[in-house]
Amino acid sequence: MSETVQRDEESVVDDALVEVTNLKTYYGEGGLLSDNPVKAVDDVSFGIRRGETLGLVGESGCGKTTLGRTLVQLERATAGSVSFDGTDVTELSGDDLKNWRRNAQMVFQDPESSLNDRMTVGEIVREPLDVHDWNSSRERRQRVRELLETVGLREEHYYRYPHQFSGGQRQRVGIARALALEPEFVVLDEPVSALDVSVQAKILNLLEDLQDEFGLTYLFIAHDLSVVRHICDRVAVMYLGNVMEVGDGEELFDDPANPYTHSLLSAIPTPDPTSQRDRITLRGTPPSPRDPPTGCPFSTRCPAKIRPEAHADIDDDLWERIEVLREILRERNRADRSLTERARELLGMDTRFSDIDEILQEVFQTPAGTDAGTGTEGTTESGDPLAGVPSTVSEPIERAAEHVRSGEEGRAREVLREEFGSECDTEMPAHHEVSESDRTSLCHRHKFEHDEPSAFFERTVFDG
Amino acid sequence: MSETVSDEDAPLRQRIADNPRPAIRWILGALVLVAVEFGAFLGLVFRLLSTIGGLFPDNPGVALFSRLEESSEVIPTLLSRSLIPNDGFYNGQQWVDTFLGLEPAYAWLLRVLLIYAYAFIWLGWLWVGYRTFRQHYRYADWTPRDDVVDRLRSHRWGQFGFVLVLIFLVMALFAPALGPTTAEANLRQPYSHYTEFYDEETDEVRNVTVGTANLGSASEGNPDSNVGPWSYDDFGRFHPFGTLTTGKDMFTFLAAGARISLMIGIVSMVGAGLIATGFALLTAYYKGLADLAVVIASDSIQALPVLLVLILASATFSGTWLAELYNGAVMLIAIFVLIQWPFLWRAVRGPAFQIAEEEWIDAAKSFGQKPRTIMRKHMLPYVIGYLLIYTSLTLGGIIIAVAGLSYLGLGITPPTPEWGRAISSGQPYVATASWHISLIPGILITLIVIGFNALGDGIRDAIDPQSGSGSGTAQESKADEAAAGGGGA
Repeated sequence: MSETVQRDEESVVDDALVEVTNLKTYYGEGGLLSDNPVKAVDDVSFGIRRGETLGLVGESGCGKTTLGRTLVQLERATAGSVSFDGTDVTELSGDDLKNWRRNAQMVFQDPESSLNDRMTVGEIVREPLDVHDWNSSRERRQRVRELLETVGLREEHYYRYPHQFSGGQRQRVGIARALALEPEFVVLDEPVSALDVSVQAKILNLLEDLQDEFGLTYLFIAHDLSVVRHICDRVAVMYLGNVMEVGDGEELFDDPANPYTHSLLSAIPTPDPTSQRDRITLRGTPPSPRDPPTGCPFSTRCPAKIRPEAHADIDDDLWERIEVLREILRERNRADRSLTERARELLGMDTRFSDIDEILQEVFQTPAGTDAGTGTEGTTESGDPLAGVPSTVSEPIERAAEHVRSGEEGRAREVLREEFGSECDTEMPAHHEVSESDRTSLCHRHKFEHDEPSAFFERTVFDG
Repeated sequence: MSETVSDEDAPLRQRIADNPRPAIRWILGALVLVAVEFGAFLGLVFRLLSTIGGLFPDNPGVALFSRLEESSEVIPTLLSRSLIPNDGFYNGQQWVDTFLGLEPAYAWLLRVLLIYAYAFIWLGWLWVGYRTFRQHYRYADWTPRDDVVDRLRSHRWGQFGFVLVLIFLVMALFAPALGPTTAEANLRQPYSHYTEFYDEETDEVRNVTVGTANLGSASEGNPDSNVGPWSYDDFGRFHPFGTLTTGKDMFTFLAAGARISLMIGIVSMVGAGLIATGFALLTAYYKGLADLAVVIASDSIQALPVLLVLILASATFSGTWLAELYNGAVMLIAIFVLIQWPFLWRAVRGPAFQIAEEEWIDAAKSFGQKPRTIMRKHMLPYVIGYLLIYTSLTLGGIIIAVAGLSYLGLGITPPTPEWGRAISSGQPYVATASWHISLIPGILITLIVIGFNALGDGIRDAIDPQSGSGSGTAQESKADEAAAGGGGA
């Protein structure tokens, strides 16, 4: 017992059931052809308290499902540890792992795919009990019947097949199966996102009731923020394999600290049509998890990115255009080039990668207000695209353009980064504690020398 | 509840002892069915034992078992040729030595009908036995297996296939009693057996060797020397399917050949199917390197020209003990298994991969299910349907391929009857009066392929709860579903 206490003192949160430390799950490592693994979960640490619900939100492909699967050991962790009640489960194997599996179960996203249609509901719910030789077979049958009642189905559904049930009922069967072995910890992988809205509420209520009844600890993975707000005690926000912000749910929703949380929350539609609230629209798409940015994972799209001292005074519109230009150059690097295109490039012929002058034209000569890069109408085709841009800005851009023309796009990106980049581009931020309740956020802006993200948005977006 | 407790905990023996009446009734019925054919059963058992003994190099006990087999023929059986004989001769006024003086065709037909009736009575009795077990001795009122049986019961096409397959299996099983004459007398040693016939010219009954008679009853294409289906030859012998080019009785030939042809076809397809399923499940579950290894192995085998491998193997092993086993059938089976599994594996690999991606596999992994059980329980039922169809379609090809080999002198050693040899021997006469030699075995092969295919179809639908052919229960469950839907989520 004393050991546990000691461990608790070190841990991120008090009384943690699950404690994730520097967890990494990479895909496609060690292959002959892939040098860069997909960093689905990249250095994540957080804790889940006993009996609480931790919500895990983020856009599609940010690694939240992979994280959930790693926690129940459906994926092998590449590095780091998942400590469950003091045991590092990433180290378990064989019988130890099998025995541990009783403690952690998972409810899957798609009720259509998570139940084997060739088995009856009774057999499906009974299977975990059979695997772990739970009591006698009569007691198992009895337990399955009880479980079916517990999740709101009827005893006689034992002999039905999954295809005779609706999506909500199938999900109830999935929940009954997860509960069969009386686990302490359940990973809910978007358990309601495949269901009708009316059914969603019922399943969520069921999950809450079950948590109260059995003292369960949940990891609730979702992309529906209102659902998360409804059910979760604490929330972790994920982006590109990193936890950007984690902390008390209500607090996080009311007063987000991280710029990514800000933009995520601003995407929740408000029912009031007269609402004047501005939305933060993110530019571009998330970077490839094979090749994440060197600094902050969010740096390529962050609306609150820190500007270097030298360019602090250029206007926001121009700054935005510079960021777009950098994004285009990054995208060009990511795009796969076919052999023909490489050959055409070598021969100096036209490729589908447009030439740098056209890009500059599009980025810097599009009238303000339209999205940069969408069209060139209304611009003067001839003339310097950088006319009207201050020389402190145009000069490095010219230098970068020169590198692009000579085929050294890597050098061009470097020039732009040196000139316009800040610590956001170069340094991974630390997890700063941002409130009394142990909430942490991954952003350079929490350092004392910068504006807090909320203050920044207050000043720019919401006032604009 | 307490009743079920004692029921399900007691072993089957105990449950039968508690309520012996239905079981005894069924066993008595079964005993009667066995008793009327007791001699044949014994003969079959000894035949099997001597065949198995013959598979080993020093033939242990073969002589003993074949002697026992012969002595078991003494025991009178209901459906034997000695009780309902069709070998007789016409003495100018009437048929002599046939059953009740009937024409040989009708005597033979009666025996065939009785044999099939007997087989189907057995089938019915087994069904009664299953119902008895279900009603009186099983602890559960219902198991998923019941649904499978119910779906098969309403699957007409599958039942048609089942009956067709059964007809051929009965043909193979009862081959000695089914033919108008025996394989031994007519096919293997025609010059050691005699047949009586009535010579009109001299008005007397003469005795000739079967071999001599065969020479006079050959089907050789022109109408003068042809014995077609359902006809008598000059020696008063009845030929339901006509004669072969050698004058041998084709029905006897086909009935005896059903044993070896069906065995080669079915055993090699089962073998290849097992390997294919095993690999499909393993590669789909483990993926990666396991898959790559099997892909390379199967591609290497598929790249070989099949006929060449068959010829090569037959030539290499000819004269060795392996080639001698069961007239060369064992080696043929081994070769066909080796050649066929990659095709079947390719066919089911895709479906297996698809199933391996389903979330219920992850669910099973998450509570620690063993990989073997995951493959068997969660993947196999979905793969087996495809496999049944593919294997049943390949079956005919195998029988034909064996024929092709016989044609090249590499297959089953003559005079052992084998279907393919009948087809290839009749090929020159397809457009002549002796068209029956190729056509009838060809039709039989088509029928057996259709039969297995339909049966496979039926089984595939039966193991799929969603196939929805369970007429009444589907309606009922729909109604229940609606009711449950109202109450539940």
